[in-house]
Amino acid sequence: MLALKSVSRHYGQASALDGLDLVVPDDSYVSLLGASGSGKTTLLRIIAGFEEPDTGTISLRGARLDGIPPHKRGVGFVFQNFALFPHLSVEDNVAFGLRYREERPVRDKAEVRERVQTILDLVGLEGLGRRSVGAISGGQKQRVALARTLIAEPKIVLLDEPLGALDANLRERMCDELHAIRQRLGISFLHVTGSETEALLMGDQVAVLADGAIAQMAPPDDLFRSPTSATVARHLNAFNIISGTVREGRLRSPVGALALPAGIAAPDGQPMSVALPYDGISVKPRRDEASDGISARFVTAEFKGPSMLSFFRAADGSLIQSLVHLSEPRPPRYEPDQVYALDFDPELLIAFPERAH
Amino acid sequence: MESRLLKPALAVYLGLFLLFLYGPMIVMAILSFQGPTGGPQFPIVEWSTYWYQHLFGQISGSRVSQLPVGESLIRSLVLAVMTTIVSTVLGVMAAQAFRTRFAGSGPIFYLFVLGMIVPGVLVGLGMALLSNMLGIDRAWWSTSFVLHVVYTFPFAFLVMLAIFNRFDRSVEEASLSLGVSPAETFRRVTFPMIFPGVLSAMLFSFTLSYDEFSRTLFTSGPRLTLPLSIYGTFSVEIYPNVFAFGVLTTVFSFTLLAIYGLLMMRSVARNNQQFKGQEA
Repeated sequence: MLALKSVSRHYGQASALDGLDLVVPDDSYVSLLGASGSGKTTLLRIIAGFEEPDTGTISLRGARLDGIPPHKRGVGFVFQNFALFPHLSVEDNVAFGLRYREERPVRDKAEVRERVQTILDLVGLEGLGRRSVGAISGGQKQRVALARTLIAEPKIVLLDEPLGALDANLRERMCDELHAIRQRLGISFLHVTGSETEALLMGDQVAVLADGAIAQMAPPDDLFRSPTSATVARHLNAFNIISGTVREGRLRSPVGALALPAGIAAPDGQPMSVALPYDGISVKPRRDEASDGISARFVTAEFKGPSMLSFFRAADGSLIQSLVHLSEPRPPRYEPDQVYALDFDPELLIAFPERAH
Repeated sequence: MESRLLKPALAVYLGLFLLFLYGPMIVMAILSFQGPTGGPQFPIVEWSTYWYQHLFGQISGSRVSQLPVGESLIRSLVLAVMTTIVSTVLGVMAAQAFRTRFAGSGPIFYLFVLGMIVPGVLVGLGMALLSNMLGIDRAWWSTSFVLHVVYTFPFAFLVMLAIFNRFDRSVEEASLSLGVSPAETFRRVTFPMIFPGVLSAMLFSFTLSYDEFSRTLFTSGPRLTLPLSIYGTFSVEIYPNVFAFGVLTTVFSFTLLAIYGLLMMRSVARNNQQFKGQEA
């Protein structure tokens, strides 16, 4: 397993990683979800040895990695831009590590050819070996990059937004294949992405990177069902985060007073954030009397095929999103600038009590 | 309306410019085919290759002595090759070092580039004085060689710096992550990819050294390089054999340029392929 202990990395005043702990178990697929600029690429580069942490330790199967030059770490890296060797053919790209690595280079030409063939078959590139890497498509380049890394039999493979440069169709297919390939080889993948759907789809475990540390690491369904902090919930891009203060068992927030789920007992004056699922909101015409709940003005809607995402602006200016799964053929129609009441079942709320300031 | 006037005007200007640029060379080429009795000016008395034969010592009993360029040509070529090798190697290494910021990289950059900015006469004179003070004999292969490197190195350095500027570091990192050592990575990945730049740096160094004059004038000692010995014949009386020689060296330069162009095209064509074919 790969273990990082209180790893920090600063760039001048700004800190990219701040006391980060992470464990990637053997034979598992971990996806790391982080917003752009959250330091996720820095983290991978530190594991691979392209950068060194300011403090903290990294170990792989008990052996220290930090301080060891990248070519002696046995860590595979798949780059977002593929980083194929432009002057070599597909075959030569894949064979590169076997031929020229410092330790145990394979000199036997027949063996190299055979292993290249095997790995090309594994990633689905049969018969393309002689092509120039300029003459293949984006998806094929991704496979070459993967094959090139896998043939060197690394102990762990780091994938830096590997699907970012592919179009949506291809991305889904590659997701399945990445899973299948990893399971066949039995090594660990650490897959970094900014897309919550990709992270949830790919990972046996999903780690959320925020503020330079891992905010939560859990299997995807656990993470989705019970995020442990407002930050994690925000990263999942499926919740409205509403902050306020508890008064008489209700949450007083800028968007209105909200009922809290049963079982949440918080003293008056307790600051609290709640996560309200996008798809837990039912939009009703405006009530006349001032009451509980959220009143908000309809802004716009995005039609997404099987679902529709609507944007409402609350009285204080904050944006509230509502997702309707379109099981009925006719999508709901809201009038622009019309105020609606956004109702929801309080039991759907996930509450995050915060420490008083 | 404006472009209808502007375009022909620019075309005429360009034509005049090219004529100005290549006129002397064309005149020289024509005059090199002057007959044995003609001088280094028009009219052409008679068309012949007499002066080319003269140049190679195949005319006996001519009252014009053979052009003393044989040895100086060899010297200049050897000097240019030496300079090319050293400057290009230094240029690649220095540019490689400048890929990462290091303490004092700013001032050092300007110190490097100073070599091509400081007037040649000044550096040449300084070198001559210095070697006199230290009691070192001046020679084309020592004092001149040093100055040629000082002069051409910044060009090679700047060319390589521009190349590395556009170089995608992740390709090298990919090689490292495959277990390939930094030295092997340079040999197998970096060098093949920067090769077009290396060619350009070599071409710059070679041509600049080959016809360098002022620095060499002060530092070459008794054995002259080609530009110096040609200048020497110029100060006595000139015959069309100088022109014949000029044509031959020009042909030689163009051959070098053609080889460079061919190598470059091959290399660029290979590297360009990486930018094609993103679609799935």
